[in-house]
Amino acid sequence: MNETSPFDAAAEVEAPDLPRDAVRFLGVERDFWRLLIRGSVLLLVTLGIYRFWLVTDVRRHLWNNTEIAGDLIEYTGTARELLLGFLIAIVLLVPIYVVFYLGALAPGILAESASVAAFAALAVLGQFAVYRARRYRLARTAYRGISFHQTGSAWRYAICAIFWWGMIAVTLGLAYPWAQASLERFKIRNTFYGELQGHFVGSGTRLFFRGFVLWLLVVGPLIIGVMVAIGAVDWNALGEAYRRGPREMFNGAEGAGAATAAAFAALSLGWSVIALAVLYPAFQAMVLRWWLSGIGFGKLTVTARLRTGAVYGLYWRFVRVSLLFAIVPAIAVGAIYAIGAIGPKDGMKGDATELAQTLLAIGTYVITALAYSVIYQATVKLRLWKVSFESLALANVEVLYNVKAAPSRATAVGEGIANALHVGGY
Amino acid sequence: MAAAGKGIFFDGATSARRPVLIELAPELLVVRDAEHRDIIARWRYDKLDHRQAPEGLLRLGEVGGRVPARLEVRDPALMAAIDDASLPVDRSGANERRTRRKVVVWSVIAVAVLVAAAVFGVPALADRLAPLLPVRAERALGTAVDGQIRRMLDKADGKGTFECGEGGGEAEARAALSRLVAKLSAAAALPLLIDARVVRREEANAVALPGGRIYVFEGLIDKAENADELAGVIAHEIGHVAHRDGTRSILQSAGLSFLFGMVLGDFVGGGAVVIGARAVLESSYSREVEGAADRYGVALMTRAGGNPRALGTVLGRIAGGIHPGTTILSDHPDTQERIRVINDLAAAASPPKPLLEPAEWAALKLICKGR
Repeated sequence: MNETSPFDAAAEVEAPDLPRDAVRFLGVERDFWRLLIRGSVLLLVTLGIYRFWLVTDVRRHLWNNTEIAGDLIEYTGTARELLLGFLIAIVLLVPIYVVFYLGALAPGILAESASVAAFAALAVLGQFAVYRARRYRLARTAYRGISFHQTGSAWRYAICAIFWWGMIAVTLGLAYPWAQASLERFKIRNTFYGELQGHFVGSGTRLFFRGFVLWLLVVGPLIIGVMVAIGAVDWNALGEAYRRGPREMFNGAEGAGAATAAAFAALSLGWSVIALAVLYPAFQAMVLRWWLSGIGFGKLTVTARLRTGAVYGLYWRFVRVSLLFAIVPAIAVGAIYAIGAIGPKDGMKGDATELAQTLLAIGTYVITALAYSVIYQATVKLRLWKVSFESLALANVEVLYNVKAAPSRATAVGEGIANALHVGGY
Repeated sequence: MAAAGKGIFFDGATSARRPVLIELAPELLVVRDAEHRDIIARWRYDKLDHRQAPEGLLRLGEVGGRVPARLEVRDPALMAAIDDASLPVDRSGANERRTRRKVVVWSVIAVAVLVAAAVFGVPALADRLAPLLPVRAERALGTAVDGQIRRMLDKADGKGTFECGEGGGEAEARAALSRLVAKLSAAAALPLLIDARVVRREEANAVALPGGRIYVFEGLIDKAENADELAGVIAHEIGHVAHRDGTRSILQSAGLSFLFGMVLGDFVGGGAVVIGARAVLESSYSREVEGAADRYGVALMTRAGGNPRALGTVLGRIAGGIHPGTTILSDHPDTQERIRVINDLAAAASPPKPLLEPAEWAALKLICKGR
């Protein structure tokens, strides 16, 4: 290159083609597989301590290959921060842990109320941690030299989240759209890119009408099945049988129509499980489309054109790869039986046979679980990230071109409690 | 080699994208605005922070920079020149591999320390803490555990009571049991009240709870051929009470579940490793503990004037009927070995006389027969 030439031309050095209103994912899938497989091996070797480095690598791969309007976002967090946060959280959780342990040993009603209190406290603390972890991830996300950040009280979020999850449970899922709308509104309004505030316009009612058919297909038959089952039972006869004692109970129950009821309940439950599995990708695509299209920063708005077929495609690929991998545990189970059949059964050698079988079973379980986690992340998580982002069309991208950085309020440590309570996200 | 070239700069104050000219000075990388040529950044080569980016893009920051200011270079010749000039910039990934190796080595050391803490630290801590617990606290612990144990053991389904000897017809049996336990208690002279009860379970076994309660299973009463055999097992269980083994095992399991569950067990599939590790560790504690309780039982039987070998006899009879499991996972050490140790210890004991009269023993045998 001619040494004086750079000073002559003031033209921008651009990537060959920069789509200014779109999002691209430039990651190479082979790199992601390699990262996950290497990470899983190291997880085994370090009994899980490597997880902080693995999750950092995964995030870095996803973030740093995502190009929004021609510029890449970047994950600036480090595994060291996550580890430090985790250690601090462990120390903070020790007193809570001790209190609940002692409470559970206390006699009578105190023990039962202690376990209920522990469950409630962990549920609230879990949601608190989810929000704090999001804060950390946003603070460690940079774009065009500026970081994101999150405001808002994590306790308030935790209380709201617990309320909404309770509502979802009570309404058998019907409250889900409004829960999502409310919680996402809270999260995204508290999300800032520099000084630019986010907003969320997704409407719960609209999501409700889009998803109501799916809900009817999954939950409807279950409700009908349960109602029919309740109707089929002759409650008086059953009560009479119950009073006559446990042995009479079985015969009495048959007469009271319990068999028909059980058949109805099983049938409707089976239908619901199958419908859930078949329709889940459609549901996920619908919610993602609704969610992404609701997000905006200042004048910037987003339209998601995520195709339902694309989400089915990636789950189908997960199923295919999983079935292919299932050969490994199948061979191992075969080997366990073979050892049992040919190995010596008595005395010290019998013990050795049993030990070999136990070790092989534990090893197979661990390797299979790790392998499925890798397959899931590489097929579903990565592809979903890619197809969701690449389906976006951005409007008024110019607002991103001159955003001021917010005054620094970086958090020094990572997602501590979230890691201690195992409630991490991406 | 290109000593200069073009790039894009983000200054970290605003999101504006600035075309810049980059000069490679001897110690510094100098960034100038492409239009007015003012210097906007000088970054030392050894302070460059090489950020991960897709193929064909070199993305740099400054180590220790308070804002994520970034310099992006897409000119292959300039990328190569910066890579040559700066040590931290490393497109081959060698720096990253070195860091990863360090992480793995330290993690493995940490795991080794944790395992050592589990194998040596937790039992040692439990051994030190258990004797410090006041008797009152231990009794409260026992009451709490009692509820759970009873729920686990009681399979009566409402057919008869869980505890034996509650009917009026078994008063004699109850009296015989009390006499037997009183003799052993007197010899043991513990600050705790020993409270032995017979419960309806088919297994030939007995358990001791923290605080002095002992449950003897109906199956054991059936298997025992004389009062001293039963007394031997009860003496062994009193050994557990005296050594505070129940309290210690509660403290140990709390420590282990904290160590393995919270610190390590977070990766997918880790649960199996954790459960396996705990099972092996807890059973290795209990092998030592059972041996100690045997020795205590022999000594107590000798002091109470019973036959110290009876424990070995009844153990041998019980073990004959069950299939031996994997040694490393079994709660009780190899039975033959235990019997040998018991007989060795009992060799010098005084000649036995039965702890209960034959009539009393005959009554005690029937403690679970009334419904």
